[in-house]
Amino acid sequence: MSRIGGRELPEEVELALRKARILEWAVLAYTACTITVVALVMGNSQAMQTAWVEDILSTIPQIAFLIALFVIRRPPSAKHPYGYHRAMGVGHLVAGVALLAVGANLCFEAVSGLVKQEHPPIGTMQLFGVTIWQGWAMVAVMALIVIGPLIYGRMKMKLAKQLNNKLLYADADMAQADWTTNAGSIIGVLGIGMGIWWLDGAAALFISVGILWDGVKNTRASVLDLMDMRATTYDQSEPDPVHERVDALLRRRRWVHDAASRIRDQGQALHVDAYVVPKRRGAKVADVDRAISDIVALDWRVQDVSITVVAELDLPEQQEEERERRGGER
Amino acid sequence: MRATRRLRSAAVALAAAATIALAGCGITIPSDVDGTLDRATDGVLEVGITPNPPHVDTSGEQPTGTEIALVTSFAGSIGASVAWTEGSEQSLVQLLEIGELDLVVGGFTEQTPWSDRVAVTRAYAEAAQPDGSTSGLVMLAPMGENALLSALERHLDAETEGQS
Repeated sequence: MSRIGGRELPEEVELALRKARILEWAVLAYTACTITVVALVMGNSQAMQTAWVEDILSTIPQIAFLIALFVIRRPPSAKHPYGYHRAMGVGHLVAGVALLAVGANLCFEAVSGLVKQEHPPIGTMQLFGVTIWQGWAMVAVMALIVIGPLIYGRMKMKLAKQLNNKLLYADADMAQADWTTNAGSIIGVLGIGMGIWWLDGAAALFISVGILWDGVKNTRASVLDLMDMRATTYDQSEPDPVHERVDALLRRRRWVHDAASRIRDQGQALHVDAYVVPKRRGAKVADVDRAISDIVALDWRVQDVSITVVAELDLPEQQEEERERRGGER
Repeated sequence: MRATRRLRSAAVALAAAATIALAGCGITIPSDVDGTLDRATDGVLEVGITPNPPHVDTSGEQPTGTEIALVTSFAGSIGASVAWTEGSEQSLVQLLEIGELDLVVGGFTEQTPWSDRVAVTRAYAEAAQPDGSTSGLVMLAPMGENALLSALERHLDAETEGQS
């Protein structure tokens, strides 16, 4: 249980992973409740229907995370020598594409409703023997369930940063923005109530653009990692600091003249490709072996390390530096 | 990305504030988009009817039936007189869509295929259908005339109280 791929995990990471798993299950249960309640009151408001679909969609990244977490624990095998780490990226991509497709469809429906000038009807409902306007029930439900995502969104964000998990980060990011969906649908329903029919369609459009944008962000982020972009921080804004630590660790060795590395993020695990130029005495096998185990010890995410001993560094990084240097001289 | 998020949040907050402010300015909720209920109150309620005994019977000089009685009492509750227009379902729904009619009755049920073109009331009673099943009876109102729809539903609740 306390492994990812073949590697044992530090206690605090294992704890964070267990927390993330419990949290995702709890949020799934909570979302099942909100989906049911919203379905009971949503009626003919397009904004409410869009918000309801978003609720359903929000479960996809969570389910993807839970499945991927199960899959990446498997150790590498002869058939899968790199392990199953990419499952996290694949789950992320599936979630992103689902958001993208449904978001686009909802956008189209919102726009076509506005163009056709559909006036959404909302009548009354009987609640415990009292007849009330159904719109009030919608507003009450949406105002009530706005609180949940604000709380669990923060909890997820904390875990995502700790685990450097991009799927969990995207999920948390969506949860934290969820209140705009609730506020939007409340505005839409109140708009219908005041006889401003287009406010509902406008709110639906606003919500579906949000879904579409989430889809674009998630698809982009997952594709970048699946395309072996260099390892980055959880929000892909900066290179992961592990790059510098690996390079520094190698360059400090007495037998090393110069070193550089390529690191890719396989989802929850890192794959390090290091290149080392030895000093004139050459490199001993024992030296290289020790360097590998030291890099693995550097960070719990490092799963696979290969060190190549070369006469000259020729990574894209060095090539770019070389080009800049030549450009500067001219 | 942070900037767009903040902008988005600000826009939502602003819209919410504006909506609540508007809602507080003495506008009744729900309101009609085209003000049908206001116009019919103390005026004329335009009602389309299509024969479907025992709900609507047009064989006599004046229309009769259970739904005719319900509509007449609703009109009475808002001080309106009723002007009846007889026609096929299709032509009545079209008249409802362009605002020539305020209400259409004729033994429609919850399964009515017109539901994406008109507003359908909550079922006010159950009735046996030709195929042996039972279905909830509804009336048809114009889309988006939610004050009228709500007033009608409240009236139907009151009229049918204790019967079902």
